[in-house]
Amino acid sequence: MLFALAAASLIRHRARTLLAILGVAVSAAMLLDMVMLSSGMKESFRGLLLSQGFQLRLSPKGTLPFDTDATIARADSLVALLRASPEVARVSPVLGGQLHFPAGASAVTAAALGLEPAVQGDYELVQGRHASAGNELVANDALLRALGRRLGDTVRAAAGYDAQLRALAGARDFVIVGRVRFIYFAAGQAGASVPLATLRAMQGGAETDRISLAMVQLRPGVSVDAARAAFERRLPRVAVISTSAALEQVDQRLSYFRQLAVILGAVSLTVGFLLVTTLVTVSVNERVGEIAVMRAIGVRRWRIVAQIVVEAAAIMLVAAPLGLVLGLVTGRYLNSILARFPGLPERIDFFLFQPRAAWTALGLLALCGVLAGIYPAWRSASLPIAITLRQEAVG
Amino acid sequence: MIIQLALLAGALSTFQGGAAAPDRPTPRQARTIAIDSRLAADAGLRVGDRVVLAASPGEPGDSAVVSAIVRRGADPAEIARSEYRVRLHLTQLQQLTGYGDRVDRFAVATRADSAIGPAMERINDAAFGFRAHRSRDIAVETSQTFAVVSRFHKAIGVITVFASAIFLLCIMLLKVEERRRDVAALRLMGISARTIVGSIVLEAAAIAVLGSIAGVGIGAAVSWFVNLHYRAVYRTPLSFSVLTGDTVVLAVGLSLVLGIVAGWLAARRLVRTPPLVLFGR
Repeated sequence: MLFALAAASLIRHRARTLLAILGVAVSAAMLLDMVMLSSGMKESFRGLLLSQGFQLRLSPKGTLPFDTDATIARADSLVALLRASPEVARVSPVLGGQLHFPAGASAVTAAALGLEPAVQGDYELVQGRHASAGNELVANDALLRALGRRLGDTVRAAAGYDAQLRALAGARDFVIVGRVRFIYFAAGQAGASVPLATLRAMQGGAETDRISLAMVQLRPGVSVDAARAAFERRLPRVAVISTSAALEQVDQRLSYFRQLAVILGAVSLTVGFLLVTTLVTVSVNERVGEIAVMRAIGVRRWRIVAQIVVEAAAIMLVAAPLGLVLGLVTGRYLNSILARFPGLPERIDFFLFQPRAAWTALGLLALCGVLAGIYPAWRSASLPIAITLRQEAVG
Repeated sequence: MIIQLALLAGALSTFQGGAAAPDRPTPRQARTIAIDSRLAADAGLRVGDRVVLAASPGEPGDSAVVSAIVRRGADPAEIARSEYRVRLHLTQLQQLTGYGDRVDRFAVATRADSAIGPAMERINDAAFGFRAHRSRDIAVETSQTFAVVSRFHKAIGVITVFASAIFLLCIMLLKVEERRRDVAALRLMGISARTIVGSIVLEAAAIAVLGSIAGVGIGAAVSWFVNLHYRAVYRTPLSFSVLTGDTVVLAVGLSLVLGIVAGWLAARRLVRTPPLVLFGR
């Protein structure tokens, strides 16, 4: 009976109900998007950092990994010290640089990583094998496309130019032995990886045992914070960054989006709340006579309140799934815009769907629906019956 | 006190700050450096203070005197970066970081704009291993981040306008529905449907204009607060939100159009209903 009356009331004003549902759906979509934006970026980044099992990253003091061209000198002794530590399971030293591939009069330039293939955590092998010999490299699809080469082909590459000799410095031939997907590279960024020793030799310079970064995987059960503090004490030349510290840095740099999400989320919720409150109030005002009659024939006050709250909640609940679908579509569209940030890793999502986010949005909306219905319902159910009936009869 | 700095060359330096000791003779004249105002504020440094610069922690380094404190430029590309900045003489930085006789880039000023193209051609013909770029092209490239943010804002704006349109339509529909009896009485008195629709549309337009004026006021206040907040957060003189005449005209125009359309749709629906039905008979 309660639900039948509520349904009848909503159906009586079809256009109004439809507009209300549409309005709440758009608010719900916006709310879901903002909930996804506020937490998605951080979760996505956390997933990316932990995807290969490394909990700590060591970079030159005062910098974040690959934030500058700075490198860690005397790195071999540092890596040896880390590997000798009982709490460490795996250490992956990484040297960043560029490789130039001559192509006619010009050259194709790609980001290059010098790695130890057995312990690396920077790429996933798609086809072929890791580059283990000095004349082998692995490349991603963007580089293979730019070079017009395939697995098994031989390419010439250099790590720099010698302006005086007008020649590529340290050029050598490489066999492409693997096709890979780099985890931290931006979409469309051409990249290649060669053994660490090879890239060091190609770059030359006075100090050859440099690295840009070392990634450390701890043994199970070892406290990340304790290990981080211990390494920071023992290795004053480097910054030891845990996943949570890196996330804090990212959060700080992208705080604008988090704050925007909070503000727009609050606005969406307020708009949805106001819309439902306005509709329910007007709807109740139109039916004060009907409500007075119900009260006169003995219908209890809480039942009238419940009917009106059910109406408000029904608008919210019908609109919510529509809003969630709309939110996912708009979220994907907005994500495709932000994915074009220069240098942003391809796998980072600003709008990451998490069931928790959807439930949060739904819960907030349902709460708003109930709250929006309570006040006008209670007010109308509290009107004096006789006076209201007389006013309605006189008009 | 030791502070790590990422210098322009990309090398790392440590910075040991302290008060100047003018009464103690120095073995040679110390070089001068300029530091940014954030570093000066955070490290408590003033012009004339003596500091020690080193490429890595623990290295002996080289002493220098703070000769200037510079205000951070309004560069959007640096907005989210929190590093301190120190400007050194080129040779001093090369020596300090072991960079040798190398630089990251040259800035070249031509005598006239017309000379830029030929100068670039000559440089690129002669150069090997580096390329000349127009400053304008570099500016476009480095502002990509903000082009993306701008596109994002536009998309959010479109969604907001859509949501506002539905909200406005709902409100106007309800407002007009409240006048069922008035409209029925007017129709029974012989007032034409056109006149009734016109009066409701006028009312809708007036509400839209008043709402827009209030909205512009709220927008200006929010814009002021946004600038105040983010300038403090990022410690920059940049303007994050700018309320321009075009924005006001667009917002008021859009609101007026939406209000009129919503009022017209609601009024048309009402005048098409027979007066007695509107009376509930």
